[in-house]
Amino acid sequence: MFGTATPLERGLIIIGFLCLLVLPFVITNPYHIHTATMIVYFAFMAASWNFVCGYLGQLSLGHSVFSGVAGYVTVLMFTQLGISPWIGMLFGGLLAAVLSVAIGSLTFRLKGPYFTLTTIAFAEIMRIWFENTDNFIGIPLKGSEGLVVPLVGDSWWAFQFNDKTPYYYIALGLLLMIVLATIMLEKSKLGYYLKAIRGDQDGAEALGINPTKYSLIALSISAFFTGIGGAFFAQFFRYINPERNMGIDMSIDMAIMAIIGGQGTVLGPILGAFILHPIAEITRTTLGGSFLGLHLVIYGTVLALTVLYFPQGIIVPLRRILARISGRAKK
Amino acid sequence: MKTRRSFLKATVATTMLLLCAPTMALADDGTVKIGLLLPLSGGSAAIGNQTKVGAQIAAAQINALGGRQLELVFSDSQSKPDIGVSETERLIQREEVSMIIGAYNSAVTFPSSEVAERYGVPWLVTGSVKNEITERNFSNVFRPNNKASYDAREQVDAIDLLSKQTGNRPTTIGLFYRGDDWGRSHAAAVKEIALERGYKIGLDEAYVPGQVDFSAQLLKIRSTKPDALIFVAGTADHILFNKQLLGNRIDLPFGLHSVGGGAEDPSFYEAVPQRGYEYMFTQEDWQIDRMQSGGLGKEITAGNVAFEEKMGYPFNSYGAQGFSNIYIAFDAITRAGSGDRSAIRDALAATNITEGPALITGYQSVTFDKNGQNVNAHGVISQNIKGERLTVWPQENRLDSTTPVWPIPSWSDR
Amino acid sequence: MDLLLAAHIVKNGLLIGGIYGGVALGLSLIFGVMRIINFAHGSLLMVAMYLAWFLWKTLGLHPYVAAFITVPALFGLGYLIQSQIISHLFTREKALVVEPLSALLLTAGIFLVLDNLVLMIFGPDVRAVSVDIAYANFFIGEIPVNIPRFIAFVASIVVASGLSYWLKHSNMGRAIRATAQNRDAATMSGINVPFIYNVTFGLGVAILGLFGALLVPFFSITPTLGLSFGIKSFIVVVLGGIGSIWGCVVGGIVLGLFEAVASQFVTATSAAIFSFGLFIVILLVRPKGLMGKA
Repeated sequence: MFGTATPLERGLIIIGFLCLLVLPFVITNPYHIHTATMIVYFAFMAASWNFVCGYLGQLSLGHSVFSGVAGYVTVLMFTQLGISPWIGMLFGGLLAAVLSVAIGSLTFRLKGPYFTLTTIAFAEIMRIWFENTDNFIGIPLKGSEGLVVPLVGDSWWAFQFNDKTPYYYIALGLLLMIVLATIMLEKSKLGYYLKAIRGDQDGAEALGINPTKYSLIALSISAFFTGIGGAFFAQFFRYINPERNMGIDMSIDMAIMAIIGGQGTVLGPILGAFILHPIAEITRTTLGGSFLGLHLVIYGTVLALTVLYFPQGIIVPLRRILARISGRAKK
Repeated sequence: MKTRRSFLKATVATTMLLLCAPTMALADDGTVKIGLLLPLSGGSAAIGNQTKVGAQIAAAQINALGGRQLELVFSDSQSKPDIGVSETERLIQREEVSMIIGAYNSAVTFPSSEVAERYGVPWLVTGSVKNEITERNFSNVFRPNNKASYDAREQVDAIDLLSKQTGNRPTTIGLFYRGDDWGRSHAAAVKEIALERGYKIGLDEAYVPGQVDFSAQLLKIRSTKPDALIFVAGTADHILFNKQLLGNRIDLPFGLHSVGGGAEDPSFYEAVPQRGYEYMFTQEDWQIDRMQSGGLGKEITAGNVAFEEKMGYPFNSYGAQGFSNIYIAFDAITRAGSGDRSAIRDALAATNITEGPALITGYQSVTFDKNGQNVNAHGVISQNIKGERLTVWPQENRLDSTTPVWPIPSWSDR
Repeated sequence: MDLLLAAHIVKNGLLIGGIYGGVALGLSLIFGVMRIINFAHGSLLMVAMYLAWFLWKTLGLHPYVAAFITVPALFGLGYLIQSQIISHLFTREKALVVEPLSALLLTAGIFLVLDNLVLMIFGPDVRAVSVDIAYANFFIGEIPVNIPRFIAFVASIVVASGLSYWLKHSNMGRAIRATAQNRDAATMSGINVPFIYNVTFGLGVAILGLFGALLVPFFSITPTLGLSFGIKSFIVVVLGGIGSIWGCVVGGIVLGLFEAVASQFVTATSAAIFSFGLFIVILLVRPKGLMGKA
């Protein structure tokens, strides 16, 4: 199940997951559960980003647009049509996937930095359009004001809970889903094709792999998951606006967490989120705005150091250390 | 280990309690924690910081009295809604504050105050104008300051008042605004009211925040020639616009009407030469010539000195609002008699302040309707005349010595 | 549309377009020689503007005088960033797989650090230099031309000409061009490639030092100002053809004119959407840019 993982790593992963599973029984303070939910959520988002970008080696800085669009779809279907966000979420994810195919079929012939810059441009176009459109063919988008999910009270149907714990478990379920999907990807033909395309696009093409087709499949899956994440975000905060949910900050967060953790691996992005989000949280809560921007200085430094010294992400040296420990244990 | 430590704690606490029992009444007069959720980093950080300093000064004054002490806990929303919600959770759960003041950005206040409503923690709004914040039938959210719709109405009211007093009335009004929540909703509201009152809308134009050049938009203003221009902008955009307006010498016969934002920020006046803002009208939640209006309490004058010492400039709108908020909170806490959240809520709902430092902003009184809106809130509109910002609207706040300039002289006559 | 309005539009488009082009020159030079997209480009402009503002605020230096300090200072900063940080990437690239995105990511890290360090040092307040020349105009017929903008416009033409002349005719310039064409061949013919890279990066950033000083008279400064200029510069460079010096100026002017015209017919927000659209279309249809060699 874990590919090349050593027994020690497997053990740690299972222990880690069990810890996450019982977490709400150990810590009961809603603020802590809230923070844990956000960490798990960002891990999910980074892993969704990783699904295409990590395996294909293309850097998208426009992924937030998928989360934003799907979030809007979910909220609008709920407020306008009275459809449960659980269903809206799927529709949102699907629409994000369709959108990603439209964008991807145009941009995937661009490589490296060119691809990155176009993803930024697409996301910015969408964000500016949403911010300045109050009403689109009768759909009340409400521009930059954002949409509010009306309070219904504790209801599974409406995806609203008074308690934080259900949100936490939903996020954890999503995370588990993306982990399983990534493992399946690694084992599937699609995964091999993506790696082939990443290594040598022309070579892959010569072997009869259609790079655009497989890139698009991966992208649409990634966009689908990112969209689900966006819908979750909208339900969790019961508020969505273009600036936050489609802005470049969110895209940069997703990318940086995956890259620092280790893109193109199952657990790397999750590791990245579990390291970086707490840094942001701790600097913010302990310094309370006295050292403005400190956590971003730390982010930037960690990013630069990772690119320079661990281009495959910090999961690589971590695994090496673990391997040494288990090697020693065997002796 | 954990149980033993908590047992120890419990024992110590009980002992303390027994020792202090005779002085319980006094202990009840102890410290009350207030959380302040403000944008301390990110785009609105300057404003968050001004509010913070104003609040700190008020709390220091109150604490110096020696009675009930206030402890302020500041937290940074980064202007992001999700961070605001997380921080609200933290303030309520971990800091266990008795009430929260926040959060300037409407996009943060809106979802965050709902968290507070759910936990029954009173929330005093500072700076946010989004109408719906006090239209939700919440029982824990109170807003002493203006709603967006009041802001818009007042700007047109001021134009009406000046027109009536001088007999000169503009026919067209232009709207130029930041393409975000604040700018767009304000412009829409002004448009509706202006049309109702028989003005024509000569220009209706949004811009992208952080735009590096306004030449194209100035050209549109030049060609559509609105008599008066309503302008919504943050500090950086406001500075750029006024500089370019000055450079292009575009005449607006009935003036530039800023809805505050950039024009409330002291850095604006440092960056733009006097000619660049001469005759400009500024709407804000604070009477800019308050310090000259006389009859002020010693708290306000001392607060102004302290503020200037810390910031390098006297009270501005956000500093004054932070100062006022703490006094409004203190008034409620005193009447509640404890840090109990629901007692403070009830006290806030019964607020009726008609004098004192809480009214530094220029309101005649603070009382909340059933939605928590201060129905007596109003902004104050000032005009820059010979380098001084003098109140022109409402008439009750205008100093006797002030004569508004209306219409304003053209560039060639200055 | 009357003729006067059209003349105004052209003037506005040319002035701001020239400035866009000038600001983007360094990005184009660095890309042309080193194949690096410097994500921190806008942030370095922001740093230059803060430096010019700081010199004005503390020493009372007019920004145009401050340029004599900001240009060498930014050259030094660029040289240091390349020799101390980015160069590690190149030494690794020789041995390991070439990862074209590493440089982008690395400079994105530098962008985060620079923007937020400036925020920590100078705070979030908006800063601006107030000098009288900011409002001075001269007239072409009835059209007023803002003098500091005109100076910045002229500067970008002068810098572009100077730079392309220098690249063609000086020894160092020839070495830079040789390195740009073929790194390995340049190494073999005795060119000190790492040094050339340091100088190129320094030069590219030094141009920002100049424009930082030339822009502060009319732009106000915030720590987050970099990204909007950075994104504008990416668009300009792509429009003009990546690595082409004159293409950069042309690209800037095209973008400036495009925005000026579009803003007259639609709102600025839609104009912004159109310029991103233009960027995507150019990349897809003519990835070499308007002036790039096909």
